[in-house]
Amino acid sequence: MKISGAHKLPLGRDRAFRAMQDPAVLAQCMPGCESLDRTGEDEYAMRMKMALAAVTGQFQGKVRIADSAFPESFRLIVEGSGKVGFMKGDGLVRLTEAAPDSTEVAFDGDVHVGGTIASVGQRLIDGTAKLMIKRFFDKLAAKAAEVE
Amino acid sequence: MIARNFEYSTPSTLAEALALLADGEAKALSGGMSLIPLMKLRLASPDLVVDLSGVPGLNGIVETADGIEIGAMTTHHDVESSALLRSKCPLLAETAAAIGDVQIRNRGTIGGAVAHADPSADYPAALQALEARVKIAGVAGERVVSAADFFVDTFTTALEPGELVTGVIVPAEAEGTGVNYTKMLQPASGFAIVGIAVRVRKDGSLARIGVTGLGAKSYRAEAAEAKLAAGDVDGAAALVADGVEANADIHASAAYRSQMARVYGARAMRAALNRAA
Amino acid sequence: MATTTTTPTKTESLIGKRLRRREDPRLITGNATYVDDIQLPGMHYACIVRSPHAAANVKKVDIQAAAAMPGVVAVFTGEDTKDVGPVPCGASLPGLRVPYHHILAVGRVYFVGHPVAVVVAADKYVARDAAEAVEVEYEELPAVADPEKALAEGAPAVHPEWPDNVSFNFHQEGGDCAAAFAEADVVVKQRITSQRLIPTPMETRGVVADWKTGDRSLIVYSSTQIPHLLRTLVAGMLALPEHKTRVITPEVGGGFGCKLNVYAEEALMGFVSMKTGKPVKWIESRRENYLCTIHGRGHVDYFEIAAKNDGTILGMKLKLIQDLGAYHQLLTPAIPTLSVLMMPGLYRFRNITADIVGVFTNCVPTDAYRGAGRREATHGIERMVDLLAAELKMDPAEIRLKNFIQPEEFPFATATGLTYDSGDYALPLRKALEISDYTGLRAKQVEARAAGRLMGVGMSTYGEICAFGPSPATPAGGWESATVKIEPSGKVTVLTGASPHGQGEETTFAQIAAEELGIDVDDVVVLHGDTAIVQYGIGTFGSRGTAVGGPALYYALQELKAKIKRFGEMMLDSSDVSFAGGVCVCNQTGRSCTLAEVAGAAHRAMKLPPKTEPGMQATYFWEPPNFTFPFGAHIVVTEVDRDTGQIEVTRYVAVDDCGRIINPLIVDGQVHGGVAQGLGQALYEQAVYDDNGQLLSGELTDYAVPKATMMPWVESHHTETPSPVNPLGVKGVGEAGTIGCSPAVVNSVVDALSQLGVRHLDMPLTPEKIWNAIQGGRA
Ligand SMILES: Cc1cc2nc3c(=O)[nH]c(=O)nc-3n(C[C@H](O)[C@H](O)[C@H](O)COP(=O)(O)OP(=O)(O)OC[C@H]3O[C@@H](n4cnc5c(N)ncnc54)[C@H](O)[C@@H]3O)c2cc1C
Repeated sequence: MKISGAHKLPLGRDRAFRAMQDPAVLAQCMPGCESLDRTGEDEYAMRMKMALAAVTGQFQGKVRIADSAFPESFRLIVEGSGKVGFMKGDGLVRLTEAAPDSTEVAFDGDVHVGGTIASVGQRLIDGTAKLMIKRFFDKLAAKAAEVE
Repeated sequence: MIARNFEYSTPSTLAEALALLADGEAKALSGGMSLIPLMKLRLASPDLVVDLSGVPGLNGIVETADGIEIGAMTTHHDVESSALLRSKCPLLAETAAAIGDVQIRNRGTIGGAVAHADPSADYPAALQALEARVKIAGVAGERVVSAADFFVDTFTTALEPGELVTGVIVPAEAEGTGVNYTKMLQPASGFAIVGIAVRVRKDGSLARIGVTGLGAKSYRAEAAEAKLAAGDVDGAAALVADGVEANADIHASAAYRSQMARVYGARAMRAALNRAA
Repeated sequence: MATTTTTPTKTESLIGKRLRRREDPRLITGNATYVDDIQLPGMHYACIVRSPHAAANVKKVDIQAAAAMPGVVAVFTGEDTKDVGPVPCGASLPGLRVPYHHILAVGRVYFVGHPVAVVVAADKYVARDAAEAVEVEYEELPAVADPEKALAEGAPAVHPEWPDNVSFNFHQEGGDCAAAFAEADVVVKQRITSQRLIPTPMETRGVVADWKTGDRSLIVYSSTQIPHLLRTLVAGMLALPEHKTRVITPEVGGGFGCKLNVYAEEALMGFVSMKTGKPVKWIESRRENYLCTIHGRGHVDYFEIAAKNDGTILGMKLKLIQDLGAYHQLLTPAIPTLSVLMMPGLYRFRNITADIVGVFTNCVPTDAYRGAGRREATHGIERMVDLLAAELKMDPAEIRLKNFIQPEEFPFATATGLTYDSGDYALPLRKALEISDYTGLRAKQVEARAAGRLMGVGMSTYGEICAFGPSPATPAGGWESATVKIEPSGKVTVLTGASPHGQGEETTFAQIAAEELGIDVDDVVVLHGDTAIVQYGIGTFGSRGTAVGGPALYYALQELKAKIKRFGEMMLDSSDVSFAGGVCVCNQTGRSCTLAEVAGAAHRAMKLPPKTEPGMQATYFWEPPNFTFPFGAHIVVTEVDRDTGQIEVTRYVAVDDCGRIINPLIVDGQVHGGVAQGLGQALYEQAVYDDNGQLLSGELTDYAVPKATMMPWVESHHTETPSPVNPLGVKGVGEAGTIGCSPAVVNSVVDALSQLGVRHLDMPLTPEKIWNAIQGGRA
């Protein structure tokens, strides 16, 4: 499934770029993130607990950042699996300066979902993915002041 | 299809229920029509299930100075067949009748449906059009939130963890208001691909359009309402889906859903106008 | 010896009588016993761990945590079961590639739902929890879920040993297609798909296996259509002696072909029961049913039809791409060959050429589903005939009537090597035209169009091949068996080897037996589905239950009637005795004795007729000399909503000719059910896999089986052209509704949209697809 969209961050582009690659910031902003540990150059192991309405699920996975081109773009590869299935996302994140202290972050990628969540929740995957991304950016925007 | 282990309790007061739900891993059980399937698929695994069926005061439909109050545990069937609602708030009764099938309507409750906030559920369209208010109780006390503020996003509401919906308040319809709820069914589940609730008066003093199924959450199509108030149904229909990022799934693409919102919008508006004085 | 003078009282024939199904009271009051109702002392429960990936290497299966859970008795993986024989494929084709199908995956998984491990526990809840605790480490591999994509250069290989994903190529031709096409005035081509469907029986599969350690014998309870074949094959897989393996088939809550199979779980439960020494139950969940029980259809067909300008069809070509899934189940590769066999349909042309490519995909296997192969053929032919009619601006009824094989041409040898038994193909079509008031409908359509409405009238005629079948033409035997026992009191027990499961043979077979013996229908009971009680039989599928099992019963009854007569002659002391109406009568004296008296005497055996054994029992194994070929015509009227693309079926007229009708009520029921499933394919149902082989329509909330409220009123009518193949004249009706329905519906909707320039639509005709077609047409 293709997924794309754009969100604004109240940060200059350089700061926005650094924030989005800062594990400490990511850990705080990724919805349900319980831990994010560095396992290598631009590679992290992650545990997250997804909760949406009555649905809850624990996922373990990897986050990898590739093709980093400061401050314009990077590729984000996320993989997670849990008892209810697995998900993989691979997308290009592009940052453009909208105004001083305002950056538009556009993403464009593929999400692949499998297991129970794919076969009984197909109608919800799209909306849920969008919601999770929105939550991430909302949180990040709210934390903007703390970002260096 | 077997759920994980869980504890089960049947509190006999609201306070007791709220105390039990204060633990983050607890879940309220009303009709169970959404919660139980999720538990059986193991997509939901609460540690504790708090059955609200023994809590007094949550079931029933009463008229107050403030409007008509429907208790959270009132089933879809009871809403559909309530003489009071049929005469004073027919839109809600009509919407209840459009939900799922007989078994679902016999078990499912308005509180559960509202709290679950399925983006394709039927009630939210009517509640938006009715500018209904949702009554909420928590350990910290009670509050009332408008439908517009209550539905936040896909499966996301203004409820804080541990809070319960205790009821829904809808207005008694003024004489001469025409209403209609029309939905396009997803043939497998019966949920709405789109559902449109309309209230209108011919003199233009009232025009309300609630939409469900199209986007991440239900909403009032306010731009369309202005056109409807002016008697321009086609103009209104053209605006029903405006500015909404439409859902897509194997049953309907985003473009088709948006178009169906316009088509069903026009149909619901015409049907409501036909009934309006 | 008591003899009395009575006159036969029974005159009204039971054949053709609308008797209510005697099966129904127990079914509709919840008193039937299904596999899940079986409770055995000490019974344990199994839960299967399944792959969430469509293609992956299995790196590690860690069972420790699961095995340590209280209540868990054992956990087995593919390493433990790899010596069990493979899940069998009964079909053979030249050059067929058959992947080795382990009952639990060994090293690699090939589709979502592929079984990887099994947990056995004291209760089903613990079993489910423990299954979740089995940790499987997968290395995901690229998958392919679409048969045409699987054939493309560079597609992922489903089985690495066969990188082209081709399991077989099959070619058949008859006549001279090249000449026919050269001679043609017009050639019409069309790609036509028959989408993958999920059979969705109300009862999912289920197995209870009970290993008797002391006897070293195994009982398998299974929801199957083929108890005896299952016994033979499961015994083989587990290396057990067949006579120490018993299969019991309790009530089966719907099969539709998906239980005409031998599944991994049937052997697996036997294996775990033998290993643990406990009776073990496994009940398939709906999710497993959708992921792991066979699907039906899965065709992409490229058709070409050649004709003269006057509408005479000269020949037909077909390239058929069959989505096989990852493995061959019992009959997987044979199903598309049935499509080719029936390619000529009801028409006289004798030039065909067909090529099948059987393609592996990372999906659950396809196999027989109601109408198997023949529905796909009929859909293609009947769409092509409509396309041809449109091309030649002919009426669809007229072009059909022009090309039908004529009544005097039977038996008719087809280009595909079949011999059609009997038929008058114009008969049901004319009847359907008349009942539907076809001329009136066309006039209404003109009015509707003038009013801007989209009204369609569509028809389909069909011929199907049933009563599988002569043994040389079938993978297992094609005969059927019956035993009739007349008990000492004169009451009758019938044991049929056809294992009916919803088709109503407990009623129709009682009608046949009661008619032949001249007794009350309530004096007959029909038993089936236990290999320890019933003589070997083949089973119920391919509309064969009554058409092959019925004649077996008929001939067993004839043997008994001869014996009854011999006893009558002895008891009435006469050589001029006739047996009718349940009574032996001496034609000289008028003295008589009843069947009960005869049966009593035969069991008491004080005196026996010459060269006659005591007792009153006969068994007959009947080998059919040919298939039977039912036919019919369906006419469907639809109204399409221009603004939404929604379709309403406003009239449904079905005229089916299934030969002689034993019980019209049951025949109508079969037609109604068949039409429901046909409508499901035409309008609603589709198994949707994404590009990675994930099944997105994995539950009933996304897979749209038609509900009662979605059914039109089916006007079911019949013509009766007896088959000469069997003494009952019956042909079979189990699949007729499914076969006749989908082309009629699609033809009707295409007819409705034809004014917009639409000439073809693929199923299912979802509102969005129709709406898009309307938009395209408008432009
Ligand atoms: C086959 C099927 C078809 C359906 N078709 C439709 C349809 O066409 N249209 C439609 O609108 N709906 C449909 N539904 C959903 C149905 O209406 C449910 O009843 C409803 O969505 C949930 O209500 P419930 O009382 O069953 O809630 P439950 O399942 O008991 O609970 C749902 C969720 O809400 C929470 N909850 C319950 N009560 C409260 C409360 N008072 N306060 C706070 N949280 C609470 C629970 O913890 C849970 O998370 C269908 C359901 C099924 C199974």
